[in-house]
Amino acid sequence: MDLVLQLIAILAVVSGTMFSALGVLGYIRLPDVYARLHATGKVGVFGVVLLLVAAVAWTPLGLGKGFVLIALLLIAGPVTSHALASAAYRIGIPVKGALRDDLARDIERAKDDMKNLQQNTDPSG
Amino acid sequence: MMATILNVVLYLALIFHIVFIGIALWRVWRGQNVIDRLIGFDLTGMLTLAILVLVSLIEQNSIYVDVALGLAALGFISTIALAKYIADEQMF
Repeated sequence: MDLVLQLIAILAVVSGTMFSALGVLGYIRLPDVYARLHATGKVGVFGVVLLLVAAVAWTPLGLGKGFVLIALLLIAGPVTSHALASAAYRIGIPVKGALRDDLARDIERAKDDMKNLQQNTDPSG
Repeated sequence: MMATILNVVLYLALIFHIVFIGIALWRVWRGQNVIDRLIGFDLTGMLTLAILVLVSLIEQNSIYVDVALGLAALGFISTIALAKYIADEQMF
């Protein structure tokens, strides 16, 4: 039984370290903010969670504590990446090599709709 | 036998993660723009979390996972708050 748990811990630590290495490599080599964000999301969601699987298998750790931390990371990682990408778009950081920008078109269309709505419902005009 | 391999793997992973933290902090120092630096800050927090879990595995002591839980919650909230501050130029 100990042998199986140690084998699980070894495999989880090795694959988690490989995911972290890929994330850091992407962070230093990819060309713009959004691509880098894509790479660093892997460190939080796969690297740390696989290390925690190893910790659940091979430490005197309650199962509940490990699973609470895994659930927190799995919920918080995508939310953090989404908030950072949204902030980057809103302060106007360009997308390198982008062929089209659908979000800008949609924002323009929403602004036009809002303007028309205000003109049509304005009681004095 | 397996325990020896596990120890070697754990110490190697610890060394690798310390090197990764060094690289991430270097990129925070030489970053291109503010979001780039904030991504590096978030990455440093995640790697610190990984180091705490590895130390817990090496020492066979689960108190480090409690510290990691607090660090994960604080890092999440601080990154969200800083991203909102940068985008809206106000916190609330």
